[in-house]
Amino acid sequence: MRSRWEPVQVGLFFATLVAAWEAGVRAFQVKEYLLPPPSAVALELWQSRWLLLQHGLITLNETVLGFLAGAVGGVLLAVGIFCSPLARRTVYPLVVALQSVPKAAVAPLLVVWFGFGLLSKVVMSFLIAFFPIVISALGGLMSTPENLLEHLRAHRATWWDTFWRLRVPSALPSFVDGCKVAMPLAVIGAVIGEFVGSNEGLGNQIMLASGTGRTPLVFAALAAVTLLSLLLFAVVELLGGLVWWRSRA
Amino acid sequence: MSPAPAGAAGPAPAIAVRGLSKVFAGRGTHVRALDNVSADIGAREFVSVLGPSGCGKSTLMRIIAGLIPYERGEVLVTGGPVTGPRPEIGVVFQTANLLPWLTVVGNLRLGAELRKLPRDVIGGKVDPMLKLLGLEGFERAYPHELSGGMQQRVALGQALMLNPSILLMDEPFGALDALTRDRMNLELLRMWEAQRQTVFFVTHSIAEAIFLSDRILVMTARPGRILQEIPVDLPRPRDPKATRGSREFGEYVVRLSELMGVFG
Repeated sequence: MRSRWEPVQVGLFFATLVAAWEAGVRAFQVKEYLLPPPSAVALELWQSRWLLLQHGLITLNETVLGFLAGAVGGVLLAVGIFCSPLARRTVYPLVVALQSVPKAAVAPLLVVWFGFGLLSKVVMSFLIAFFPIVISALGGLMSTPENLLEHLRAHRATWWDTFWRLRVPSALPSFVDGCKVAMPLAVIGAVIGEFVGSNEGLGNQIMLASGTGRTPLVFAALAAVTLLSLLLFAVVELLGGLVWWRSRA
Repeated sequence: MSPAPAGAAGPAPAIAVRGLSKVFAGRGTHVRALDNVSADIGAREFVSVLGPSGCGKSTLMRIIAGLIPYERGEVLVTGGPVTGPRPEIGVVFQTANLLPWLTVVGNLRLGAELRKLPRDVIGGKVDPMLKLLGLEGFERAYPHELSGGMQQRVALGQALMLNPSILLMDEPFGALDALTRDRMNLELLRMWEAQRQTVFFVTHSIAEAIFLSDRILVMTARPGRILQEIPVDLPRPRDPKATRGSREFGEYVVRLSELMGVFG
């Protein structure tokens, strides 16, 4: 049951965690470059806000492009695999096999191929976001309720009508779920790309700050990445609300 | 109005089933769903198929609907062999099968749109259909906002929008509560008495079959066979109170119950 105390409980829980962190760091006199207290992180967040915003926008750009490429490419591939039994036997196992390749290990190669600029991060982000979208879109297309398919068959529906008027709408809830998985992954992809080879973006800032012992900035940049990820997830959640029949089907 | 003569000589029957057998073969399974089933259903006749669960009555309906293939026997609809879903047939299933993302009007139009009827013709039928079904005011409602009875009404309306000469119904009210079911039976009867399509109605309810039908085909289970054909000689138009309360109705109930082994 939701009570009006619920937000208070949640707030208290997190406040206690932060307070324990602050108290622990002070009590044991932990060095700031090892673990900064939350107050130092908060101060750094404020002082470096323009820096974080500037680099955050770069990471945002990479992530959104990578995600959109993953969504479009993933849906196209899913439709292709769905329509062609040959692709289902050949391309699909290939996609699954490629998913087992650790993407982070490919990142240096991407820098060699696509350079230090925007493209290598977008490709990294795309590679990670792509898979859940293919799987969810394909799963959605393949799991159209049998009774509805029969119903449309009784109405002499064409393949095309069955696809657009039944299969696609009934696949959308699953596709939205895939997007919810893919969005945070797209952020991770962009950050990994920045780790490996870049001179801007939040991932790059994390590398720089940790290399120079500015651990509070590392934490502040981490907080910025998290915030970015949450914001993008909220956008997907909001757009996913357009597929309101997800729980009614 | 009197019931149409059953299987009498005259124009070709709307539905003719001759020596139909159907086997479902799976991995290591071999289920005889229908065994040498023959039946004629006359034009404008209301025929119910009554039988226990798993007797193959739904399979029979699906074969006539052109939804599943058959290997042995012959199935003719308005004189032509059934090789797939036919244009003059409307089907109502046990589940309403409404699309959750379409409104009542969208669902009513769906069948006619899929069958490529002209848009203006479809548009002209929506309002009278809403009125006929008592769904005025629910035009923009979505299926999940409707009761089970109303959903099934939309499903029936979707089929009626096609002006089908033949209506196949597979336990259309089977999932409804008893009260709603009785009311839907009456509404269906009124519509049929006005429009007189050929109706092939699958049910496992004895009372429903008697109340609605001109003739009842009683089926046995595994393999599905037609055990007996019972003409229902009750006057029309039928009325819930007068018809169900009559002595003849009671006699039909007893006779069919005996046939179906209800009394053990």
